[in-house]
Amino acid sequence: MKLLNKLTIRILAICLFVLASTVTRAQEATTVVDSSLLNRVSSLENEANYIKPRESHLMAVGLLTFGFVSNKTTVTYNGSSSVSKTNSLGDADHFEFSPMFLWRHGEKFLMEFEPSFSADGVGVNWAVVSYYATPGLILRGGYLVLPFGIYNKRLAAGWINKLASDPEGIADASDFGVEAEGGIQAGTAKWSYDFALSNGMQLQPDGTTEFIGITDNNKNKLFTGRIGFLPLANSSIEVGASLMTGNVGDATLKITSATATLWALDLNVVENITPFQLNVKGQYSEAKVENANYTDPNDPTHDYTFDNHTKTGYIMGALRPMFSQNNVVKNFELAARYGNYTTPAKSLWGTKDNSLAVGLDYWMNWRTVVRFSYEAIKGTSTVSENLGGNPGEITKSNSAYIQFCIEL
Amino acid sequence: MKLINNKMAILSILVVVVGSIVMLLNSCTASQKISMKSGAQLWSENCQRCHNTPSPSAFSPEQWETIGMHMQSRALLTNTERDKIVDFLKSAN
Repeated sequence: MKLLNKLTIRILAICLFVLASTVTRAQEATTVVDSSLLNRVSSLENEANYIKPRESHLMAVGLLTFGFVSNKTTVTYNGSSSVSKTNSLGDADHFEFSPMFLWRHGEKFLMEFEPSFSADGVGVNWAVVSYYATPGLILRGGYLVLPFGIYNKRLAAGWINKLASDPEGIADASDFGVEAEGGIQAGTAKWSYDFALSNGMQLQPDGTTEFIGITDNNKNKLFTGRIGFLPLANSSIEVGASLMTGNVGDATLKITSATATLWALDLNVVENITPFQLNVKGQYSEAKVENANYTDPNDPTHDYTFDNHTKTGYIMGALRPMFSQNNVVKNFELAARYGNYTTPAKSLWGTKDNSLAVGLDYWMNWRTVVRFSYEAIKGTSTVSENLGGNPGEITKSNSAYIQFCIEL
Repeated sequence: MKLINNKMAILSILVVVVGSIVMLLNSCTASQKISMKSGAQLWSENCQRCHNTPSPSAFSPEQWETIGMHMQSRALLTNTERDKIVDFLKSAN
């Protein structure tokens, strides 16, 4: 009987041991599976949290333009010529590294800040806060790119431009101010408006105008506005008209009543004609400064004046076999641009320039391009002889570019 | 005065010529209001006005929301256009 009891106890002990081992193994197995699943769930939660719309979102994008330019300039006056040559890495004046920070607060506010490092040093392209007030109305304040024409605001970035250089005479127009803009549908067509009030330009002693500093130099504000019209339902054609007007005189100097009036017309056509995409872009503008006398650099006691009237325009065409079946051919794009730039005769900076640029782009992807460009500019000086200039002097500038541009 | 008249005449002719071309092209284009268009169609029509059309996979859905606001301001899109384009880019992401 004792033997039987001992045997029973041993059997029970073995059964308990086997049972316990099985449970432990099961628990171990369950623990392993759960851990794997938990990791996966945690990973998915992180992903979901990353893409879940939040009240605030900050992101950084930006662009870089880098390259090489070889230039030969010949200056001819009274039958004698001088030649200068330069070869420059960094793409001379066209190198740019500009990170852009976009900071969204909810659905109504967006802050945009684009610092820039270029040949001019470190600067700021724009720094603004926008309020999306109602459909068709965006209000903005800060350091703005003024809505004059379409080139500066939409087409100047290296990864958007079709050629390495900018058209002559299109100056940067950024200023401190406020802005109201929006897009409006009208049937199958569209209108857009963009109006700004800013501190304004300041007239320089030589008659040029510049946007300088935060503090205004007079009580008047500069008005800049553009109206855009897209008549076709597919938005393939856009025409725009711009006006910029204001007092440019300095309240502390004798040129207080000087005013500047600029107007511009712009055109943007993008047509897909299989297998090609055709781009035609152009802008023409005139600028007139009135009621101003200027100081003679050779005799500061002597004033002089001239018809301060500047005209500039360009037309650019580009053709890309974007819809070709060939994966290499479809990335090439041919571009050409003709430009004209006439500054005031009898001034210190009078010239009549004609330019022709041609280029071949290779698009590595939608926002990365390598381009080869060649530009020839011929300028005839119209400066005042009385101011020590050489009217009739001819300057021929020929530049070859290799450029890489990326948007990140 | 004569110069101004000449300029006005040239400008008027230019406006008439451009207007005629636009009317001609318009007559060849299927007219469709924005509300009837898909986000994909608006994406392909509007982005290429200035730059190459971006890939939906270039940014995350939340980033597209932010970029949508930025681009609405640059291209002066209507709210409907922006919303439809962003919805398309997020769904195709």
